[in-house]
Amino acid sequence: MSLIVETLNSVQSNPAIEPVWEVRNISKAFPGVQALDNVSMAVFSGEVHALLGENGSGKSTLAKCIAGVYQPESGEIISHANPVTFRNPMDARFAGVATIFQEFSLVPTLTVAENIFLGRFPRLSTGIIDWATIREETDKVLEQLSLKIDPNAVVKTLSVAEQQLVEIAKAISMESSLLIMDEPTAALGLLETQSLMELIRRLTKQDKAIIYISHRLDEVFQIADRVTILKDGKHIVTSPLSELKMSDVVRLMIGYEIQQHYPKETNAKEAVCLEVENLVTENGVNDVSFTVNVGEVFGLGGMLGSGRTEIARAIYGLDHFVSGKILLYGEKVHLRSPVEAVGVGIGYLPENRKADGCFFNFEAPKNITISRLKELLQGPFLSLSQERKVGEAYVKRMNIHPTALEKSVQFLSGGNQQKVIVARWLFSQARLLIMDEPTQGIDIGAKLEVYNVINELTRSGISILLISSDFPELLAMCDRIGVVRDGRILYINEARQMTEYQLIGIASGVGLSGEIEDIAVISS
Amino acid sequence: MERVAKFFRSTVAGPMVAFLLVATMASLATPRFLQPQNLANVSLQVATVAVVSIGATLVILTGGIDLSPGSTVALITCTLAILVKKMGYPLWVGIALCLLLGVILGFINGFFSTYGKIPSFIVTLATMSIYRGLAFLITGGTPIFTVSPQLGPLFYGKFLGIPLPFYYVVILYTVGAIFLRNTIPGRGIYAVGGNESAARLTGIAVNRTRLLAFVLAGLTASIGGVLLTAWLNSGSPNYGQELGLQSIAAAVIGGASLAGGIGSMIATLFGALTVAVVQNGLNLLAVPASWQEITLGIVIVLAVGLDMWRETIGRGVSRLFRQPSAR
Repeated sequence: MSLIVETLNSVQSNPAIEPVWEVRNISKAFPGVQALDNVSMAVFSGEVHALLGENGSGKSTLAKCIAGVYQPESGEIISHANPVTFRNPMDARFAGVATIFQEFSLVPTLTVAENIFLGRFPRLSTGIIDWATIREETDKVLEQLSLKIDPNAVVKTLSVAEQQLVEIAKAISMESSLLIMDEPTAALGLLETQSLMELIRRLTKQDKAIIYISHRLDEVFQIADRVTILKDGKHIVTSPLSELKMSDVVRLMIGYEIQQHYPKETNAKEAVCLEVENLVTENGVNDVSFTVNVGEVFGLGGMLGSGRTEIARAIYGLDHFVSGKILLYGEKVHLRSPVEAVGVGIGYLPENRKADGCFFNFEAPKNITISRLKELLQGPFLSLSQERKVGEAYVKRMNIHPTALEKSVQFLSGGNQQKVIVARWLFSQARLLIMDEPTQGIDIGAKLEVYNVINELTRSGISILLISSDFPELLAMCDRIGVVRDGRILYINEARQMTEYQLIGIASGVGLSGEIEDIAVISS
Repeated sequence: MERVAKFFRSTVAGPMVAFLLVATMASLATPRFLQPQNLANVSLQVATVAVVSIGATLVILTGGIDLSPGSTVALITCTLAILVKKMGYPLWVGIALCLLLGVILGFINGFFSTYGKIPSFIVTLATMSIYRGLAFLITGGTPIFTVSPQLGPLFYGKFLGIPLPFYYVVILYTVGAIFLRNTIPGRGIYAVGGNESAARLTGIAVNRTRLLAFVLAGLTASIGGVLLTAWLNSGSPNYGQELGLQSIAAAVIGGASLAGGIGSMIATLFGALTVAVVQNGLNLLAVPASWQEITLGIVIVLAVGLDMWRETIGRGVSRLFRQPSAR
């Protein structure tokens, strides 16, 4: 209750008194994680309401609940003082919610105009689609965004930034009282961002309510009226932005209690395992250099889309090099494909373990041995009994659920699946293991096990390149961290000399030092 | 008991049950079905489709599809007939060249559907047309009869009283099963079909694996072509029209998933047997060809359907018999 009073008090400067959209006590859980825990938030017409929080704080989940993508387990959504229930995104759209999702919702093979009007084509009295109106309206919307995109261009031929703008055009072309923007500028350049900011200002003059989600605090401070901060699915604060400094926002996002147990062991040796020199790839990695010592955990920290994954992909031979070189144990290696990367002793734990990691048609033993089947050869044939033994040994060593020996890994929990994939690379005798979001979506217990596995790996001399959006985890488990933004490593330091405050500051482009108030340091 | 239960959970159970079902129905419908002479006939009839189905299974396991084996078979029968009868090559040389041709035809399918990045459905749809066209081209459209007196014994010969094709099938399926279960490329085929992206990230040469499956499919189709030439002692561009679809049917009745990664040689063999028994039974009953085709279609849907609905049916059955549990 006090919360709503607080929000009402803080909004006296706004023209409207009643919130147009409101969520009350929303909760939503996913397996192993409480994504939203009793969150409330009100949005007034003509207001830009920033929704902030770290990766995994629940911002996108909240947005998706309002947009009808997820159905909250409890709590209410209130539109113009009436409770509403959305069974699907269509319901929300008809109720006046337009959403720009972080993931594109465009059909790549259709044209810009077709995409903008998809699912709501205006028709002539004969029932035929009214292309003239579509054309006219599309032109109007694109002009509003001052976009020079051909309405007849097929979407897949557009650049990512252009696609993002079409996504925005599609959302604003709908009749709506609430516009949700989830990271709308992630793919945009400076100029495009500026014209989006102007557009947002114009939209608020038309009394639209806007929920604005962004990692880029500099933008938020340019555009937002009020801010709501979430952490670990809980509501932390709602306040007019004018009453907060940027440093306050960062502190609130991090939270006061960073009490989690990280069983960090330092096993880094003097010897160097991996050297990356001036790496440039076609996929946006821009002059990246760093080294990883034997037994070291080197972290790549950065926001989604910062280029951390692209650096890892290049080292694993997935992306084409433009220039630069990679040395492994002092020897120059050519990594044009994962086959070659695996051959020289690199392993990769993909971010999306279901789509890119697990073989659901195999039980655990086959999932483990696939990385080095040669080891099982007796003459020209695989020894299945040997494979069984290997499987049993790793299931025991990694504490994997024993049903995995008989059943498809499909039936394992996320944590167990992750351990099966780690076991795969242990079996392959990888010397460098790239871990992309190894603890994403698994519960605390399983996370601890992954941390223990990291220790065990480094103890045995394996080096780890750790990518994580969980900054406390990154700070605690890494020996050193490189902070990535726009495909570059901006800053490398020992993890224990860095704070989360600094890490977020650099990664979100606010600044390199503690003086976060200084907005204009890095903004592009 | 545990072993019985395990068998019924395994993927071989479905096609085996399907086969036993159609075999029982055939033997009930006509007493002639179980006569030794007829069973020997079945083993002759099943040979070609069974051998071709080996390749179909390999391709389907990688997540691809091969529509062309029927045309490959036709081209092989014509090539063998021309090499031996018109050009006078010794039979063994002709067979060897035909197997080589099969490998090349499979390579073409595989190359375009991997490195050429064209979906295998499209590539083999095209080669299905091209390979049969070539068969018409080299024969001028006329079948070539009485190819060689040496061919008959290869097919109609017996060993220990059992027709030779029986041994061919057993040997080829044994080799195929060992290849799939116990070799690195065989495992690679399952991995690529199960999760292409994971296979690539685990360091498996995905394209090479797919290509291998197509090359082996070309090889088994050419063996099927040689068998067919021996069976009929002739080559014709019209042969093998139904083999492409029948081999796919055998694999899917055997429980192979068209998405890839699931299926086995033994299960496909039962699938092929099911197809052959349906045909044989209907032949014995003098059912006209049109109804044979319709029946085969229904059998495919039922066999695959039973496999798909197995879980639902199982759940329904266990619900019927479930005791109120004291939890």
